[in-house]
Amino acid sequence: MTPRIDFLSFAGRGVALTKHLAVFAALMALWEFAARFGLVDTILLPPPRQIAQGLIQLYIENREIYWHFWVTFLEALGGFLIGGGLGLILAVGSAQSPSFRRYVAPYAIALNVTPGLALTPIIIAWFGFGMSSKVALGAIVCFFPVFVNTLIGLTRTDEDTLEMFRSLGASRWQTFLKLQVPEALPITFAGCKIAITTALVGAVVAEFSQGTAGIGILMQRFAFALDMSSAIAALLSMSLLGLILFYLIEILDDLIVFWRRDRRMEAVGRRRQARWEAGLSKSRD
Amino acid sequence: MTDVVDLAPVQAGASRERSWLNHAAIFLGLMLLWEGSSHLGWLDPLFFPRPSDILVGFWRLYITQGNIWGHLGLTMAEVLAGFAAGSLLGIALALVVGMSDRIRRYMKPYVVVLEATPRIAIGPVIIAAFGFGWTSKVVIVMLVCFFAPFVNTLNGMVNADRDQLEMMRSMGASKWQVFCKLMLPDAMPEIMGGLRLAMASALGGALVAEFIASNAGMGLLINQYTGVLNMASAFVCVLTLTGLGFAIMWAMEAVDRRIVFWNDRESTAEVSKRLALAWAHRNGDLA
Repeated sequence: MTPRIDFLSFAGRGVALTKHLAVFAALMALWEFAARFGLVDTILLPPPRQIAQGLIQLYIENREIYWHFWVTFLEALGGFLIGGGLGLILAVGSAQSPSFRRYVAPYAIALNVTPGLALTPIIIAWFGFGMSSKVALGAIVCFFPVFVNTLIGLTRTDEDTLEMFRSLGASRWQTFLKLQVPEALPITFAGCKIAITTALVGAVVAEFSQGTAGIGILMQRFAFALDMSSAIAALLSMSLLGLILFYLIEILDDLIVFWRRDRRMEAVGRRRQARWEAGLSKSRD
Repeated sequence: MTDVVDLAPVQAGASRERSWLNHAAIFLGLMLLWEGSSHLGWLDPLFFPRPSDILVGFWRLYITQGNIWGHLGLTMAEVLAGFAAGSLLGIALALVVGMSDRIRRYMKPYVVVLEATPRIAIGPVIIAAFGFGWTSKVVIVMLVCFFAPFVNTLNGMVNADRDQLEMMRSMGASKWQVFCKLMLPDAMPEIMGGLRLAMASALGGALVAEFIASNAGMGLLINQYTGVLNMASAFVCVLTLTGLGFAIMWAMEAVDRRIVFWNDRESTAEVSKRLALAWAHRNGDLA
């Protein structure tokens, strides 16, 4: 089956894109004129042209941003992996044993209601000014979404299905692997999507507080020098970083939780069928 | 997302009391372990203050010195002012935008980008614009609190049931009636969810704003204490914030139960009883 390109919807999308671009251009023009006529304070809110110049300077002329971008990316990713991993492990433990859950829950809730960012100075005193303190703060703030979502996903399995698993004599391990995990994965990934942007917030805030490299530092430096166009360019880079991290999880979600999307499910099904047929013909030989 | 979560099933009667005792015992055990390992030199008390030191710190900060009250009050004021302004603005804007399909479509890309941006990251820019004082913190909290109610309200408005909408139209309901009787009640649980998310991040926003640059507030206090390695006092501040977080969570849940009463069975029963009583009363007056 060859994929058929739907030209009508393709053209429709092109028109929609043009409209979006037109709206964007109109907004920018409005902003530019407002700045030109003195309706906006250009020192605090520079016009789009200056921000574009700031972007060009950061990315093409100066090129120092790439290093900072990479540092913050690693910090956020490291924080997410550690915090999310811990959340995952504790959630699986809690789902397996109700008494474990009872004794972990109060501490998890207390950690959740404490603004994790309040720990910034303490974390920096513990882990120093380098990258490890940013990773640690990221891990603390992104622990809870993964923990809670995974726990909910693992414990909210369908009663009837569970009954069937039991009546067919499934072992505890089988129930976990074949019923609970597939049920929990979509919710876990939803939690991961929240967590990874939170980890980025943690890393950036730790950089604001103390740091030697990273986009947060870069931006704070620009803002306090009142070089607002560069500061906003750095802020936009942070949005870009957030989008990259978010889509990283989204892609993983697409790959792992393939049964949620029809197209992916079809592809995986076809591949499995091919493998099965190959195995069948080999056994026949 | 981080809504009400039943992490532990509630037991009744005696077993509930026993589990409470177990909890207390485990907590005490952990604290004793911490205290002991600190005395034995496994944990450096300079960085990891002993529980006893933290208790003494509570006494000092709240009673003998009493210096925490002013900072706590200021931070609370920042949080409340920023939350009120930001969430009202978010809901109002979403209600206006949500009425028109077209505006919603054109806003979407911007909302996506803004959602990916760490909102607190805009802190230094705001502080440069509004100065080191109170205003800049309120503005930052406002920005932090704006998006969750905005996005949730928008989502809630879109998700109004098609069939019900159809029915209201066919019975000749005006646009205002559709809004008041269908869209708003349908969106209400989600709006409340957004408000909760906003409130949860408001405290963090205020603290970060104070870390960046300020002359008063809990963030400054924590920063100062950690700067001189007075970790026990810094922990007192953090634990105070934990308490504050709990209070905020409970308050939001209570408000939620009151406003979105139809999601909670007890509240629903109470409200319907009240309505029935009022109705009977009025009928009795008429008769």
